Amino acid sequence: MGEVYIEMLTSPGCANCPAVKKLLKELADELKGDVTVEEVDITVEPTRAVQYGVMSVPAVAINGILKFVGVPKREELKRAIIDELET
Amino acid sequence: MSKEEKRVGVFICHCGKNIAGGVDINALLEYASQLKGVVVAEDNRFSCSEEGQSSIQDAVKQHNLNRLVVVACDPALHLATFQRCGEQVGVNPAFTELIDVRKWTMHGSPQKVDHAQALENSKRLMAQTVKRIRLKRVIPKVEVKVEPSVLVIGGGIAGVEASLDLADKGYKAYLVERLPTIGGKMALLYKVFPTNDCAPCILAPKTAYANMHRNITLLTNSEVTSVQGYVGSFKVNVLKRPRFVDEKKCTGCAICVEKCPAKALDTKFLAGTGQHKAVYIPFPQAIPRKAIIDKEACLYFQKGVCKVCEKFCPADAIDFEQKPENIELQVGAVIVATGFKEYDPSAKKEYGYGQYSNVVTQLQLARILDIDGPTKGKLLRPSDGKEPKTVLMIQCVGSREEKGNTYCSAVCCMYALKHAQIIKEMVLPDAEISIAYTDMRTPGKGFEEYYRQTRDLGVTFLRGKPSQIIEDPETKNLLVRVEDTFIGQPVTIDADLVVLSCAMEPSHGTNQLAELLRIEIDKDGWFKEIHPKLKPVETNIRGIYICGCAQGPKDIPDAIVQAKAAASCADSELRKGKIMLPEFMVKAANAS
Repeated sequence: MGEVYIEMLTSPGCANCPAVKKLLKELADELKGDVTVEEVDITVEPTRAVQYGVMSVPAVAINGILKFVGVPKREELKRAIIDELET
Repeated sequence: MSKEEKRVGVFICHCGKNIAGGVDINALLEYASQLKGVVVAEDNRFSCSEEGQSSIQDAVKQHNLNRLVVVACDPALHLATFQRCGEQVGVNPAFTELIDVRKWTMHGSPQKVDHAQALENSKRLMAQTVKRIRLKRVIPKVEVKVEPSVLVIGGGIAGVEASLDLADKGYKAYLVERLPTIGGKMALLYKVFPTNDCAPCILAPKTAYANMHRNITLLTNSEVTSVQGYVGSFKVNVLKRPRFVDEKKCTGCAICVEKCPAKALDTKFLAGTGQHKAVYIPFPQAIPRKAIIDKEACLYFQKGVCKVCEKFCPADAIDFEQKPENIELQVGAVIVATGFKEYDPSAKKEYGYGQYSNVVTQLQLARILDIDGPTKGKLLRPSDGKEPKTVLMIQCVGSREEKGNTYCSAVCCMYALKHAQIIKEMVLPDAEISIAYTDMRTPGKGFEEYYRQTRDLGVTFLRGKPSQIIEDPETKNLLVRVEDTFIGQPVTIDADLVVLSCAMEPSHGTNQLAELLRIEIDKDGWFKEIHPKLKPVETNIRGIYICGCAQGPKDIPDAIVQAKAAASCADSELRKGKIMLPEFMVKAANAS
């Protein structure tokens, strides 16, 4: 089984971030494999946001590639994580 | 995806004692070396030094590393250093990470924690980063052509200077100004410290040159409405509001102004000290010298009759049908030079500004003292048009407060001294001038001498912040209560005129513009630079720069230095003609 490193870009007061955070936690528990989720507060680490060219939060990068901006659909997010776990 | 082996090197910097003094380096090394993928973990007294960098390069060669994690300071400061260091020995810059543990270990850092906590935090961050970099893939990059043009927002001295610098270098500059004329606040200052030069006289050569420079397009009476894209290729929309005067035809003869029968209105441009008619030219040195019609005051727009200006205009330039125009621009970089506004002291009820007619601001005083101002350079108080015998200036109005603006506005001490000198030397030598100050701050070339000169002219300095001003309803004279903090006694001063040295505040619309450009704002509302010491004009968005008072309060020479710096930054980005950018960035922008 592969490994996945998920960066969830967030900021204080972000309205939709808690939903994505919850979704990621559920998926990390559900999927077998080494899934790490890191929350990146872009107000504390702006360089991380710049690196991905993120203009709004929430945003999700998986193994260094920006995959979603906004709230992803559960199935799409799950698929993206599984794809990475399988490679 | 390539299946090359991920070989990570971890390099822990002592930063002298800044890191080594706050965390157990050996424990960190031991922890790092057992992390998955880590081939080597080393420490160094100063990783950023030449010796430190070459030891990283040696390790890369010796252990065939392809991923680097440097455990040291803020990535905003040194990430580029280590990326270059790695790149020289074949490590892709995308695979070099710098993590900041110094914030937890350095004395004086607001986030400083104890040894045990620092070790725990550092371990966690290191483990995360090693894993992230091990799994990270390179973001694909594409080559993008760069537009050799720049948008400059704000036509004050900083914006004009930046435009001229870039235009002289051969770039096309679009200078967008919200008001009908460029020149900004400097045009209103009459004289500038410490040389007491005439402000419009030293400004006009620059604004006039900007107006005639073939690489500069002036867009006055205009506002930026949208900015999209990325460095090298920003798509900008500018809304040009109608002047109701054809700029190409208008010669600035002002016959229309002379003939306009509408009642004069208080002007918005001269700090509220002058008046203008329905058709007007903002001030004599206005650039471009073109008339503009104020719709609110114009008899034709309000009542449907008049059109006298149209009848008399020899150039046939009046156009009542002019509509707002949207202008689309494509530029490679953006410079924000939106300046400041003067703090509105009417919120300070104790000073009675707006209530007592003889309480004015320093910007209004500058207009009153101006030879071309409302009183033609005579110092006459607003209530009765008489010359004041006593003038009191109050410093730090809206600056250095416990609540409100906590910052020092940096120029108030100097402009108060300037006005005191002008009054003493040129206008009313017999007037008694007092300055009630908190601290006199005059750091700058020739500034301390300027302060002494002012003292020698007989200006009285009183340390204390007035608590109340009372107006005599008949004479309109003012009674100012203040505690002289040197003698610890309350004092009452009679003043014919009180002048408030008001703070500088971010100009109107700063927040909206920041949103439009997606750049950050600091806690005081100014545009935020990416690093206050080392990157004072760069913002969080590559290709967007800030300069002048848009970045924070400063005087004219500092604003010019920043304008030149911003122009230089834009030049370094644009001169290559093409740049490599992440593919998603280009795709996203093209999709929108």
